[in-house]
Amino acid sequence: MNKFEHELIMCVVNEGFSEAVMDAARAVGAKGGTVLHANGTANKDAEKAFGIVIEPNKELVMILVPAEIKAAVLKELYDKVGLNTPGQGIAFTLPVDSVVGIGEGERS
Amino acid sequence: MQQQDKNKKNALGVKSSRVESGRLKLLITVVNRAKGDFYLDLIQSFDVNMQLLIMAHGTASAQMISMLGLEDSARTAIFSIIREDRAEDIMNALAEKFRTIKNGKGVAYTVPLASMIGVAAYGFLSNDHRTLKEEKK
Repeated sequence: MNKFEHELIMCVVNEGFSEAVMDAARAVGAKGGTVLHANGTANKDAEKAFGIVIEPNKELVMILVPAEIKAAVLKELYDKVGLNTPGQGIAFTLPVDSVVGIGEGERS
Repeated sequence: MQQQDKNKKNALGVKSSRVESGRLKLLITVVNRAKGDFYLDLIQSFDVNMQLLIMAHGTASAQMISMLGLEDSARTAIFSIIREDRAEDIMNALAEKFRTIKNGKGVAYTVPLASMIGVAAYGFLSNDHRTLKEEKK
């Protein structure tokens, strides 16, 4: 049970993988997203310890989804663009308590 | 009694204060890039002191862009810190502008902030001039 009708999925991926993020999200019902360009700042010691090289140029994809499909979208993102893929994506969600605009029509 | 509750200390020994009565939210507004400044000014008129304008692009297909009546995929994402008690007014104003302004369609949503620190910073973000006077004393 979730008191929020929508959640905001934030997915940080390597540059050039935002299309792959949206393809994965759309496959389980997400409608659209917004892509922001960003620079990652990884801990160099942690990179060495985990044997992972972090590409500094990132894309942050914000996807607003109904709460009921959140888990499915996260799972799909984990499988298709997660840390074990070239996209090296990390995804998390934030609660959204009101929405207006495209596709919503009215306040949630 | 209520005041006593408000002043009780939490596990970290930090006193909770009237911040409780004026909670803040993060408002994210995504609009056509050309309309970014218009919406920035609109939101600022609702006691909003800090906003970030970020260049972005939408992921809708060309077909969807034309169906929604949008120009292209260039967008501006505006991150604004707003007061919870002004959220409804702001959302209503945005909804009206999204409907009526030419090429002004967009989407806006709010995310509750969990916590923050600093009376001056809170006063600035909430446009609460009482905190400003307290700081000067």
